[in-house]
Amino acid sequence: MSGWLVIGLMWAVTYPARLLGLSLGRLNLPPFWQAFLRFVPVSVFAALVVPDVLGSPEWARRLVGAAVGGALLWRTRNLALGILGGFAAYWAARLAGL
Amino acid sequence: MTASAPFWPAFWPPFWRGFRALLPLWPGMVPFAVAYAVTAQAGGLSLWETQLMSLTVFAGASQFAAAGQFVSGGLPTVAGALGLVATTFLLNARHVLYGLSLSRSLPLPWGQRLLAAQFLTDEAYGVTVVAGPRDPGGLSFAFLLGAELSLYGVWNASTLLGSLAGAVLPDPQALGVGVIFPLAFLGLLVPLLEGRVTLLVALVSGLGAWGLGRALPGGLVILLAGVGGAALGAWITTRHAGSRA
Repeated sequence: MSGWLVIGLMWAVTYPARLLGLSLGRLNLPPFWQAFLRFVPVSVFAALVVPDVLGSPEWARRLVGAAVGGALLWRTRNLALGILGGFAAYWAARLAGL
Repeated sequence: MTASAPFWPAFWPPFWRGFRALLPLWPGMVPFAVAYAVTAQAGGLSLWETQLMSLTVFAGASQFAAAGQFVSGGLPTVAGALGLVATTFLLNARHVLYGLSLSRSLPLPWGQRLLAAQFLTDEAYGVTVVAGPRDPGGLSFAFLLGAELSLYGVWNASTLLGSLAGAVLPDPQALGVGVIFPLAFLGLLVPLLEGRVTLLVALVSGLGAWGLGRALPGGLVILLAGVGGAALGAWITTRHAGSRA
């Protein structure tokens, strides 16, 4: 199959998923589902972070980076500082041979 | 500016604040997009096809999955292509959750919805839902679009860079930039961790995703762990409501 067609089909299943959610905001949801949606950011971010750290071949260095970055974020709430500090700690662990 | 001012009194300031809020994630995004472009080109996609996928599909994991498949066998057969499309669907079904979660606090008219849907990503959703409400103008379409286009711009520019100069660029893995993604999402997660239920939801979702990730593709894992964790939190916080009411 041609590359263009495959790309078109991939777009055709991606865009509607993005649009569907954005279009359902006025649904009158029962309390359970309202609470469910409040917890979505927490559950999704955690699901994005943990496998990327623990499931990585270089998990030990990444764990050091995540621990330092997480502690900085906890104290300062500064995203850029957390990323830079965590990246520096990751490199320190890497240079130390971890 | 003057003509649109009565209708959009303050579009650009929150747009640029949203745009800038994603800047810390750029260093993680550039090598990722470059690596995608290099993989796609090695797999036989033309420069235009490589770029078209970043312009339309605009989903990192799916683009990698597709590029990998092209690499393994050139242009896919009909069965291969349908498998690729099904994988893309599964990987991106989590965006329904993002839209649903966003639209609760940010209802959009249909024109803005059609536009915002094209550029929605994990990162733009994350920053908008965490930093948007703290913006001076509150959670707004302008802030969301700024956050979305920040990544769309850098993703597509980096795709082009990778297509044109991929062979002479250093290997992103050697720079260790892969750690920037978990750090960025950690930065979104930490401010949300207030109270025991949220901590429990984060632990269960995170460790659950790690376990599921051994058997299933990434996007599906995030969808399942995201739904499971949020359902757990909702169950804990609402289970007594029925008996009290």
